[in-house]
Amino acid sequence: MPATPAQRPRSGRTVLAALGLGVLLYAGLRGIGPAPALGPFLNPATGVWSLVRSAEPPARAEARIPGLGAPVRVLVDDRGVPHVFAASEEDAWRAQGYLIARDRLFQMELQTRAASGTLSELLGARALEADRATRRRGFPWAAERGMAGLDSGALIARAARAYAQGVAAWIDQMGPADLPLEYRLLGARPAPWQPINTLYLFLQMAYTLAWDDQTLLKLQVRGLVGAAATEALFPLNSPIQEPIQPNGSRAPRYDFARIPPPGRPDTGALIGARRRESLELALGWQPGPRDEGDAIGSNNWVVAPRRTAAGYALLAGDPHLELSLPSVWYEIHLNVAGATDVAGVTFPGSPGVIIGFNRAAAWSFTNTGADVRDFYQETVDDDAHPGRYRLDGAWQPLAERVEVVRGRRGEALATDTIRFTHRGPLLREGNRWLSMRWTAFEARGPGEDFLRLDRAQSVAEWLEGWKDYVAAAQNGIVADRAGNVAIRSTGKYPVRPGAGRGDAIADGGTTRTDWTGFLPLEAYPFSLNPAQGYLASANQQPVDPRDNPHYFGVDWYSPWRALRINQLLRADSALTPESMRRMQTNPGSARADAYVPLLLSAAGAIAAAGKGDDTLRRAAGLLGEWDRRYTPDNPRAVLFEAAMAELAPLVWDELIPTERRSDSSARPVAAPEEAVLLELAADSANAWWDDRRTPEVEHRDEILARALRRGFVRTLHADGAPESAGWRWGNAHHANLYHLLRLPGLSALGLSVQGGPSTLSPSPGQGTHGPSWRMVAELGPAVRAWGIYPGGQSGNPASARYLDRLPRWVAGQLDSVLFPARPGELPASRVRSVLTLTPAVP
Amino acid sequence: MSVRGALAFLLLALAFVLASWLGWWAVPVVAAAWGFLRPAVRRPILTAALAAGLAWAAWLLWDFGRDPAAFARLTGRLGAVFPLPSALLLLLTLLLAALLAWCAAAVGCWLGGALASNPHER
Repeated sequence: MPATPAQRPRSGRTVLAALGLGVLLYAGLRGIGPAPALGPFLNPATGVWSLVRSAEPPARAEARIPGLGAPVRVLVDDRGVPHVFAASEEDAWRAQGYLIARDRLFQMELQTRAASGTLSELLGARALEADRATRRRGFPWAAERGMAGLDSGALIARAARAYAQGVAAWIDQMGPADLPLEYRLLGARPAPWQPINTLYLFLQMAYTLAWDDQTLLKLQVRGLVGAAATEALFPLNSPIQEPIQPNGSRAPRYDFARIPPPGRPDTGALIGARRRESLELALGWQPGPRDEGDAIGSNNWVVAPRRTAAGYALLAGDPHLELSLPSVWYEIHLNVAGATDVAGVTFPGSPGVIIGFNRAAAWSFTNTGADVRDFYQETVDDDAHPGRYRLDGAWQPLAERVEVVRGRRGEALATDTIRFTHRGPLLREGNRWLSMRWTAFEARGPGEDFLRLDRAQSVAEWLEGWKDYVAAAQNGIVADRAGNVAIRSTGKYPVRPGAGRGDAIADGGTTRTDWTGFLPLEAYPFSLNPAQGYLASANQQPVDPRDNPHYFGVDWYSPWRALRINQLLRADSALTPESMRRMQTNPGSARADAYVPLLLSAAGAIAAAGKGDDTLRRAAGLLGEWDRRYTPDNPRAVLFEAAMAELAPLVWDELIPTERRSDSSARPVAAPEEAVLLELAADSANAWWDDRRTPEVEHRDEILARALRRGFVRTLHADGAPESAGWRWGNAHHANLYHLLRLPGLSALGLSVQGGPSTLSPSPGQGTHGPSWRMVAELGPAVRAWGIYPGGQSGNPASARYLDRLPRWVAGQLDSVLFPARPGELPASRVRSVLTLTPAVP
Repeated sequence: MSVRGALAFLLLALAFVLASWLGWWAVPVVAAAWGFLRPAVRRPILTAALAAGLAWAAWLLWDFGRDPAAFARLTGRLGAVFPLPSALLLLLTLLLAALLAWCAAAVGCWLGGALASNPHER
């Protein structure tokens, strides 16, 4: 085909084209800046646009899974919930792995990598320090040890293997359109899924729920105000007793004592605090949750049939966790004839159902917050390269493990040697070595307990199936169709020598400081069918110390939510599922009920003494208008919160390091629980009320009034006049659901929700934590349940089910959960997809 | 455009559609081959660019037609991720195909011309 003169290429254009082609090929292959490689990303045939094709599951599909014993039928309903009908539990778990991988593959891999210290292989060197910290914590060591110690026939071993087969089958069969968006953004491919990943998942969950370590805070506080005051500010027992295990009282008990005045600084403790602080940094422990108040907590309650309108037991569950997109939960129904028929939510990566119900029972959990992690100061033979540690006067060899953190191309980014004593990982801190023992490392086959719960046919079977659970300790609540209700704070509680407490660094040179065992089951906080007809937990101290003297932990959450729940339950003896639902987002606050009268009284006293001004009078007037409810349109909650935010640094000014006290914005190193502050309020002339940064000596009312006045002024500056929209609670405070990669475009931010600090639907701090799975179950002739979590079943942003549940979650509504006993029971109008899984032909 | 030219254009676009399934890199390969062959159509390099853009537009239209709501959700969220107007992201996609094809066709055309002017090397 001869070229015409017009077609003859011009050299300038050719050079430009060649250069352009080079640039485009580079951008196509490698990407520019933070952008992904543009070629595979934008190619509409196989790139990001093809996600549209996998947005919804096909109406009918078939797939093969190796190892499947018999065909499995899966019906996906219009809420995106798969109903799995299988002939065996193994087949159900295989199908579960396949289905959850289909919807949440990236999330599964990301959270597993977070626990195995391999995030750098996916995210690059930016995750290096997080990976090193994870490995120093001993997570890979613990998971591998746990896996090696598992009997291959153990329930969790079988489940993890079957689940992994399902995940692997999905990964093998994935088409170009099925690759999740996040992999495309990162230019990565899914890693093979191994059974050990399930163990990693439970370690990660134990880590999330075992965050609360008070030793550092207490050491810091001791360094500033001495031991006696510290013990009173962070007490062994809550000053407001409203325990999980009923104590026979129909009202909370206020065990208020006089708080000793600030003492002399304990310089030894200050050194310890610095040591502990650097240790926490070395471990990568997140100090954040305290800023989130009690949002990483949970509620659950059950009501016996005699206190319900229909005469059936009712259960409500509401774990408060990090609000993420996709959600930490995935909803599923597993039906295996003659074995399991269970519905509810599970963690992507975990076989079975964690929180849910079956044909006989329903259950949920809250975190106990027990102290199950201890540190020991060790003596080693070589400070730089220890090979042995001193124990009972003799040298013992340290176990060693070389950890190589690799990057995205498999290159070694860091190599660390991790050493272990008989207690656990040995950690370098300054010029000392500390070892750590944690109950989560002692669990053999974590997750197995949940599988047993899925099968339970009564409260008694449920409690039996749950008795060996190790970590993190949970307040498990359960109700059955026979009308039984129970709660037990279950987990291994270490028995320590001496005073039995674990909130100080122990001497590692002797076995006499080692745990001597675990509390027997009979010592666990527990109640079955109590006379009061209901049970509730909200992360408060689980048992009245007068009833049970064992050590479970220190510095318990203020029981505001527990007080509110019990107040509502006592007031209603004809509860319905609908009233249970409304309770879950009840905007009332026991905390506000306690503090608003104090603030108003203080303002009145100051005015009567002639020390007030118009600003204080106006602030008190506005606060007095408040109905103490955190509804989105409430115009006064913002003033109360501003006053409370001012109060803590005014009262606890002694807990601000001396060198920072001249800084008006400085905050205390730790703020005692507000229940302790209430205890202090009973003692109006206590030395703690004096703000030592001022020349005068203040008493309680002056400080309370000052906090109210300052809060008012701050609110005026920040939000405008009291009549303005800025004072609406829903405008001042938001819930924020961040995408797993913190990409704002895939997140749901600035949500106006009902609830505030310490309400039943808590939403304090940055709004990044809160109710993650609200569920109500009625244990009638047929079990009925309603539930919702924020987000949706699909991790695909193109899917309608990426965020479809969010508006109803924001509104406090629940979805009716379908629970068909057979495929035919699911109304055809509600079936969106039918998947048949068959055994793979070898 | 002549019938022959239109047919060639459509065939080329179809080739781009199919080649894209193999991978984005197949677009410059097809375009370079097209340029190298130096077809007797007016403005062959521009033709390659337009055909590649059309091919990728066809893919996008096909996905849009399958599920307009999902397509809208995806473009909206991708636009928020980068952040760019959604339409610009779509335009960028088409532009990538067109530029790849234009550059590769031009280089192919030059290569074809160079070899044609030195038949002993062919």
